[in-house]
Amino acid sequence: MMHDRFEERLRDAARDYHTPPPVPRDEMWAEIAARREAERTRVVRPWMRWGMAAAAVLVLGIAIGRYTAPQRDGVPTASDVVGAAGTPIANGDAYRVAARQYLSRTEVFLTGFRADARRGKLDSSFTASARNLLISTRLILDSPAGQDPRLRDLLEDLELVLAQIAQYEHGDDAQLIDQGLDQRGVLLRLRAEIPAGPATPTQGGAL
Amino acid sequence: MNAGAAVPSLRSAVEERELIARARLGDGTAERALYDAHVDRVYRLSYRLAADDDLARDFTQETFIRAFARLDGFRGEAAFSTWLHRIATTVALNGLRKVKRFHRREAELDEAAEMVSRGRAAEPDLKSRLRQAIDALPVGYRTVFVMHDVEGYTHEEIAGALGVETGTSKAQLSRARAKLREALADFAGEWAS
Repeated sequence: MMHDRFEERLRDAARDYHTPPPVPRDEMWAEIAARREAERTRVVRPWMRWGMAAAAVLVLGIAIGRYTAPQRDGVPTASDVVGAAGTPIANGDAYRVAARQYLSRTEVFLTGFRADARRGKLDSSFTASARNLLISTRLILDSPAGQDPRLRDLLEDLELVLAQIAQYEHGDDAQLIDQGLDQRGVLLRLRAEIPAGPATPTQGGAL
Repeated sequence: MNAGAAVPSLRSAVEERELIARARLGDGTAERALYDAHVDRVYRLSYRLAADDDLARDFTQETFIRAFARLDGFRGEAAFSTWLHRIATTVALNGLRKVKRFHRREAELDEAAEMVSRGRAAEPDLKSRLRQAIDALPVGYRTVFVMHDVEGYTHEEIAGALGVETGTSKAQLSRARAKLREALADFAGEWAS
């Protein structure tokens, strides 16, 4: 009885123990937002470096492609440009090199996704990478490399799969994506488009 | 619950899950909504433990920065608030260990102001003695006592936040109260009346 009364009085008195002031919400949030922003600009995550490298290759490919495209006003044409091995660089080869780089990275990405999905160990870095690859997919689809009907079909399927992964939320989604990959034979077709060896302009014609 | 009154609650667990999913994708609005829903309890607990506004702000900010940075690791096995409070208590207790400023108490001015406004609701001498007695508790007992008796957390919430069994939380609270009873023995006669 006496214990009950003691505890009641104790709890009553304890409410004044270091009574907090009003919560400085906005001030703390401003600090949190500033530190988060500083962290975002400071840290370049691996998938971002990977994405930036892919984007750089694409931009380079598109720039070379434009430079080597036929000109009507006396500017050098594709046949004037000679590759490192002494062979002319055909129009669109630069796009194909960029596309091949993209396909190799996408193959690595999808293989990794599938393996982790089957082990149930997916994390959100996959969705971020998928979003990044989606941008590259669209760029390639809109480039001359995307005019190849077979490649275009593959790119459109990849776009769909990558969009699903970018929206990934839970394990059921992973199963559906995995089934979609199988049904459309995406990985098989993807691997068939990637020749062995490094992707250089002198090895054109693979696509 | 003491801390619950001013806390804007999320409409549902579903809404919170959606906010977490959006925050994982870097949506600042979702992060702010999660912050608004939980910041009051985190700050209040931090302040009660630190007794210092600067420290409480630091701990609260660090808690949310860590939580947002590690959101990918939140699997939803426990409630988000439990997961967040686990970070909060870790940040606060580690922070207090490092800075050792929690021994410095800004007592006199606050106490004088409260004496005027509260009368006998909590006697000044008792308050002062109680504060000293709580401060003197071992850190584990003090944390559980503050969370349960001061801030109104349940034993389940405390267990989740501290990563202990519910029974451990109950046992530590009981020992904390026993130590306080011992320290405040000379008030026993008055309190029994």
